[in-house]
Amino acid sequence: MTYAQAACGAVERALAADARVVVLGEDVGRGGIFGQYQGLQQKFGAARVIDTPISEATIMGAAVGMALAGLRPVVEMRVVDFALCAVDEIVNQAAKARFMFGGQGRVPLVARLPIGIWSGSAAQHSQSLEAWFAHVPGLVVVAPGSPQDNCGLLATAIDCGDPVIYMEHKELWGLEEEVDAAQRVPLGKARVLQAGTDVTLVSWSRAVQVARLAAAEAKAQEISVELIDLRTIWPWDRETVLASAAKTRRLVVAHEAVQVGGFGAEIAATVAEELGVPVRRVGGARIPVGYAPPLEDEARVSAGAIARALRA
Amino acid sequence: MAAGKEDRIALHRLMLVTRELDRVIGAADGHWHPALGEEGVVAGCYYGLLEGDALVPHYRGMIAACYARGGDLRRLLAGLDGRATSYSRGRYRSDVCGPIELGIIGLYSGALGPTLEYAAGAALAAKLDAKGAVAVAVFGDGTASRGNFHEAVNLAAVLKLPAVFVCQNNQIAISTPAQGEHGGRIVDRAAGFGIPGQLVDGNDVVAVHAAVQGAVARARRGEGPSLIDALTYRVGGHMAADPGAYRSAEEVEQWKQRDPIALHEQRLLAEGLLDAARAAALREAVAAEVGAAMKAAQSDPLPGPDVLGLDRVFAEA
Repeated sequence: MTYAQAACGAVERALAADARVVVLGEDVGRGGIFGQYQGLQQKFGAARVIDTPISEATIMGAAVGMALAGLRPVVEMRVVDFALCAVDEIVNQAAKARFMFGGQGRVPLVARLPIGIWSGSAAQHSQSLEAWFAHVPGLVVVAPGSPQDNCGLLATAIDCGDPVIYMEHKELWGLEEEVDAAQRVPLGKARVLQAGTDVTLVSWSRAVQVARLAAAEAKAQEISVELIDLRTIWPWDRETVLASAAKTRRLVVAHEAVQVGGFGAEIAATVAEELGVPVRRVGGARIPVGYAPPLEDEARVSAGAIARALRA
Repeated sequence: MAAGKEDRIALHRLMLVTRELDRVIGAADGHWHPALGEEGVVAGCYYGLLEGDALVPHYRGMIAACYARGGDLRRLLAGLDGRATSYSRGRYRSDVCGPIELGIIGLYSGALGPTLEYAAGAALAAKLDAKGAVAVAVFGDGTASRGNFHEAVNLAAVLKLPAVFVCQNNQIAISTPAQGEHGGRIVDRAAGFGIPGQLVDGNDVVAVHAAVQGAVARARRGEGPSLIDALTYRVGGHMAADPGAYRSAEEVEQWKQRDPIALHEQRLLAEGLLDAARAAALREAVAAEVGAAMKAAQSDPLPGPDVLGLDRVFAEA
């Protein structure tokens, strides 16, 4: 099952199980532009899988209203770059409502904001902005890196009582693996993909694929890497990361997002503060993603760069 | 403002270029947004603007717009592959962002609507400049659902800006049909802003051109903005790779019968402005020009990472 199909299945089961769950956004009726809603409108009808005009701010604002009224909307924003049209609704409304209403109002919505470089999509369709949203109190931020996690985390996110910024990676839609549809993945729990003893490598989303290659490269040089997929950016799994770094006494964080101000800085700083061990960050260059393939490659995080940090 | 004989031929030629670009690019690039069936609006809007006018084109027809403004076809086509010879040197796709040096403001992030705000701003600048320049913004019917449309047109109306807003109304937003996009006719919104609104047959290039030039003349006279709703139809998919299977073949076929190029060519033939031999020669010349530019563009080099330096990116400190 692909990453896209795994997510679609999670939404389908949520729609079937809970009448409060609705989907709204542009082109969801035809299955979404990445096929991540395939067949859902046919099965559940246009009243629950709702095609909207091109109005990102209003789509998000309407979802906030629906959520406050007791529904559980799954909000399609196409890509995170487009969701910037709806930032007021996400940051000033969805994230604040529960706090400002003294806990009485809740905004249980899932906003799907796919991130990442998707070859040939250039500066305005390729950003990884998870750190922006992690910075905002009131938001949960999720970045699944595998089909199983996309299935299990999306199901949990729809059940979450708070707004979840759900960030799938556009270059993972076609990634395939066996998926256990019944398996739920808790929010805030990282996964240790590979045990190791010399250095802890924390990554998430598509960068996990690159981190695997780097870990293999390090292994060939007799460096034993403990690889962790963070999965939830906020709240992040401090316990798992700190336990690992306490064991290996070294930490590397690698993500596709621009390194400057990236969420890797938060993890590295926390580990350094708590454990006093050496930390390193590997992230994207602080430059808009170029369109031509050689320019795009300059914005990507390479296995070589991660491997160098693992050796350093 | 009726188009003269030479204008009518030039409008025909620009439609032919638009279609040939679709054919050639669509075969090479599944991501291309074809303007098939919408050439009447494309040519009618982009032909006949003056130097100094700001043009904010719709992405569907962007390369034709740049070409109409004097853009070098090889460099424009090189931008499709991000080649080093393109106007942006590979940093963006030339079919979504026109070169500013041609007076074209593009910068589509894909989230539609801000371009109308750019047009209002360019019109404000033109008004302050007081040289009679105008800003023309062309946008899709899907874009008209965004708040930016309302805010930009209202601003232009309140400040009486020299702006012309043209809706290239192909009646579908990717897969969402008109009835799923707006509750009433787009042209009727003009009344709410207190500006003239005109509904025009987008498949009649002469009618589109006359409406746009009429609104442009009004704007140049300092009488404020206009809204034109140019009704047409997207015969192709949203992108070249999109089979558009979400609508009926009968509907598409009906609109194919109202092909803007065929309609205009028949008129030119009937009026004696063109004969069969000249019509064929024109088509061949356009195909040769586009083909040669595409071939040259595709052999242009890709940029190296050095292009990502600070050169032409940030102002020097």
